[in-house]
This record gives sequence, C-alpha cells and structure tokens, in this order.
Amino acid sequence: MTEPVPPRLLLVECPGLEAPDEDDGGLHLRRFGRVVEALSSVCPWVDAVRPGVCTLPIKGPTRYFGTEEAVLVRVAEAVGEALGPFREGGRDGEGDVGSGDFRLGVAEGVFAAVLAARAGAVVPAGETARFLAPWPVAVLSDPELVEVLVRLGLSTLGGFAQVPAADVLARFGTRGIRAHRLARGLDGELSGYRVSGMGARLVAALGHALALQDLQPGFWGGTSAADERAGEVLTALQRRLGTEAVTVPVLEGGRGPADRCRLVTWSPVVARSSPASSPGSSSAPGRERKGSRRKASQAPLEPPWPGRLPPPAPARVTVGERPVEVLDRSGVPVGVTARGLLTAEPERLSVDGGLWVPVVAWSAPWPVEERWWSTARRRAARLQVLTADGVARLLVTERRRWRVEATYD
Amino acid sequence: MFDSTSRSHGLQRPHGLQRPHGLQALAERVRPVAASRTRLLPALPPIAALLPDGGLRRGSVVRCTGRAASSLAMAVAAGPSAAGSWCATVGMEEMGILAAAGYGLDLERLAMVRAAPGEWAVATAVLVDGIDLVVLAPPRHARPAAARTLVARARERGAVLLVVEERPGSFFAELELVVESAQWQGLADGTGRLRSRRVTVVARGRGPAVRPARQELWLPAATGKVVAA
Repeated sequence: MTEPVPPRLLLVECPGLEAPDEDDGGLHLRRFGRVVEALSSVCPWVDAVRPGVCTLPIKGPTRYFGTEEAVLVRVAEAVGEALGPFREGGRDGEGDVGSGDFRLGVAEGVFAAVLAARAGAVVPAGETARFLAPWPVAVLSDPELVEVLVRLGLSTLGGFAQVPAADVLARFGTRGIRAHRLARGLDGELSGYRVSGMGARLVAALGHALALQDLQPGFWGGTSAADERAGEVLTALQRRLGTEAVTVPVLEGGRGPADRCRLVTWSPVVARSSPASSPGSSSAPGRERKGSRRKASQAPLEPPWPGRLPPPAPARVTVGERPVEVLDRSGVPVGVTARGLLTAEPERLSVDGGLWVPVVAWSAPWPVEERWWSTARRRAARLQVLTADGVARLLVTERRRWRVEATYD
Repeated sequence: MFDSTSRSHGLQRPHGLQRPHGLQALAERVRPVAASRTRLLPALPPIAALLPDGGLRRGSVVRCTGRAASSLAMAVAAGPSAAGSWCATVGMEEMGILAAAGYGLDLERLAMVRAAPGEWAVATAVLVDGIDLVVLAPPRHARPAAARTLVARARERGAVLLVVEERPGSFFAELELVVESAQWQGLADGTGRLRSRRVTVVARGRGPAVRPARQELWLPAATGKVVAA
C-alpha cells in the first residue's frame, strides 16, 4: 500500500465533556478548554476536534520527551491535572456524570485514533489498517451504508476494505468511497465528526485567549503558561475595577516599612521586568545620623540603626492615619526629647480613641530624620511597643503626635 | 510495556473493554500520582506539618484566624509562591510586603488588589480564575451568599482561597488554622527590640478523618522566616 496515510495522532477523549449542555453555563466547555490549555504544555499543536475530543501529533513531542510512553505520561498528567479538582471522589466527585474521566489512544488519523482511545490502544505506525480491520462497519456511522454492507456479508471494516475501490465506487458512489478510505486507514476522519469553530467557542467559554495551534513553538514549560494565565486574569480585573486597582510590590531603599516598598500598577510589561531590588541595596552609606551616637551610648549591644527599621518586618503597615495616645504613669503624654530619649516610661496607650491598654514592653526610640537634604525636613522617632493584649506595634512620633505606623500582626 | 498488550488487545479484541488495558491501565496508573502531585500546592515544611495532606489542596478554602493571622497567612502562601504559583491579595492593603518577602513570598508573582467595599467578591471571583492562591481579608459582615459563591468558584477553578479573619466569619473553610497563643520575644522596658514570636497554631479540618494538629512555630523567627519551634 503506497498511498499516504494520515499523521499519527494522540487523541484525548473526555466522555463527560462531549455533549456540552447549554444550560450548564458553559461549564463543560470551560473544563474542556482547560484540558486543551493543559495539553499545550506538552505540545503546541493541539487540535480541538469537537467538544471533549482533541488531538495532538505524537511525533514532535516524542522527539522532545524521548519516548512515546513519556509523552503519554505527560499527557495523562496534564489532562488529569486539568480535570483534577472535579474528579475528586467522595464529596461530590463520583456522582459527577463521570466528567472527570478521559481516554487516550494513538493511531493514524482521527477516525482510527477515536477507536484506539475506545480500546485504550497505541497503534504502531503503519498498523492502522490492521487495527481497524476487526471493528464492525457500524463504526462508520452511516446507517444506510452499514445496512447494505452487512447484508453483503461485509460486517467488519477489514472485510469492507478488501473490496476493490472501483467496485465500491460503482456500487456506493463517492460516499461509499469515503467510507472505504476510512476503513482502509487512508482517511482522517468521519465527515460530520469535526465541529467547526471550536477554537472560538473555547476562547469564549474560558473568557481569555487560548493557545491553540498558532501558539509559538518552544512553549514547553508550565511556568510561563501560569504567568500568562495570571496576566490575563489581572488584566481582566483591571478592566473591571480600574487599572490602579491591581498593583504589584517593588522593594526599594527607604527606612520606614512604608518607604521600603512601593506598589506599582500592574501591567504585563511590569510583571515581566520588575527585578525586585534587594532590600539592602540602597541603604545610605556614609550618612551619619545623630541617632547613632545616642544609640551607641544608650544601648551598646544593639547594632546601629541608621534610621532603618530593624528586622523582622511588621506584617501590617498602616494605611492612612491611625493616631495613638501614649501616657506615662501619671497620665502625662510621653514624648521624645531632642536627644532622642523618651520623656517618661510609657504606661498605657489608646489607638484611635479606643480602649486604654497597658504597655508591657517597649524599645528605645530611634530617631529618624527624613528628607535631610530638603528644606521640608521632618524629624521623627520610632518606637516598638508591646501591649498587654499581645499586640506589638511600631509607633512613630512627629510634632508631639503619635501614630501607628505598623502592626506586628 | 503497554505496547504489546494494547496492540494485541486492539488488533484482536476491539470490543473487549471489560478490563483496563494498555493506555487505560496507564491512565489508571498515572492518575493518582498526577492527581496527588498536582492537586496540592506545596507548603513550607513547618506549615506542612499542620496540613492534613501536607500541602494546600486545590479548590479548598483555608482560614487563618487569631492574633498573627496575617503572618500566618503569609507563611502559608509562601510555600506555593516560592514554588512558582501566583498569589493575589484582596482586602489586604495593609499587608507588610517586607514581611511577606521575609516569609518567602515571591514578590514577582504577587498581585495586590485594592477593591472598593462592594467589589471584593467580584475581584476574588475573577482572581480564582487564574491565580493559584488568593488571600482574602473579607469585610467583617460578608454576605453568606457571596461567601458560598466564592467557595464554589474556588473549588471549581482549583484555586486555594486563603481567608484571613480575626474571628471566623461567613466562609466555610475545609481547614481552620488558629493561632492560639503568641508571645513576642526580645523587647523589654525601654531596651531591646522585637526579635521573634513564638506561636501555637492549631489546625482543624472539617472532615471526620482529620485530626486536629498542633504546631509550635517561630512566626517570625529572628530571620523573618517561619521556623518550627
């Protein structure tokens, strides 16, 4: 047989997703879309044939992964992962019309690959006609033709394939020839099997672009797929909530917890090219601070803190103003002297006019001079305070007012 | 290995589907492995000790409550993040990014979403579509219907929803991580500084088979990381 045969395909069939119910809100189609998406990590040329059925050429991925078995394992993993959350048994998995099931098959052409998946078979190259031979002619899905064939005693594809093509043409016309070619393993798929516009339907169901056959080659890793997926979601969210609503953090130099990181509006470009600068990269070398002298005299065991907040960093950085009153034993507000000392020991505090809480421990204040280079200089001091309720806060005082800068939640 | 069996199976018994053969056997063999590996997002070792599966089950809701809930949530998120998952936060405008980086979150795969008061649920619903782990601090009186919808959606999309609350609210969580006690160390009367915090975290699952787990942690340790105490 010298006639060319269709390409050898790995076919993935998800029986539970084959008949998408229009009332399910596109759920089955979305699930199938995720299967297709997952497969694009194995091979960039996934062909969505119809709902629940897709194929990919096995040759290229085999070259990449080494063996056909390796490709099959990868595919089974990818499909299992894509269907994973829904197949879990127990809670609501088993009753789920088996939408988590899938079958794999390898053969030349979609028609044979469908049967291979049904049989769970990997048909070696060039063996497709032999594989097809024992199947009943009913699989040709042409009742009229099948009825005649069976009456003629041609009950299997193999038997039908033995009939000379000229006789088939004379008796059954072009429709018969098409079926004959399928039976001989020379044609790809049953007419009417393929559902057109699958790509667009999947994109609509998923709500984002889908990497179907036009995907860039070299798209092997799952990581960049996840990045792209996240990017699409974030972009969608920006459309919904406004661009400013989605931000990504960037670390920078600075002294306070709020100064040392910046939120920048997310954009796909930012996300790819934002090397978070190392937290220590822009400490201010050579900047002598008044505070370090004070520190040296008062707490010699501590490393000098040139205005920088010592680690560990607080888990919550206050957004907006949160005033605090800090009182000493006799009810007098506690302040910080020009030399950076507390005027008295703090005894209790009240955040935002709330209940008074006893102070159980506190640090020495460390003065911070912000913007020393500008005329708008501002002198502040920070203090870590632990209250009886177990909450540790970072307070900052400026112009005799205390506020909560951060909470060590 | 499956080649010969599946081939003979295919050639001689095309209708014989009584037993799984060849590829189906392969699929059966691969399935549990693939599922167990990919159904879970990895956790840092000290956190994994608290999780019934040793990782965060995709599609599940985990709640962090109590003092240090913010830190605990970051430490929980650090595992998937460090392993390459994207994380997003909703209602966590105050999250300390330095602390997050210290716990091990990858800032390059972290998005912080500022949602207006009426939009937190929508934002979360969109995020679970494509982000592996969404950290949500819901409003105090979140509508139960909105919470149910989000739980279902996270389950459907295979995302992990990490809810951070001072006390349990409207969300039905498969796993509750409660900080039972927290003790800061290093600070005294006018000297020292906050260095580390020792916490006791109790994990309670909803399933009957899940026994409560208890773990002593440094959250954070002096290094800013989470370490088993």
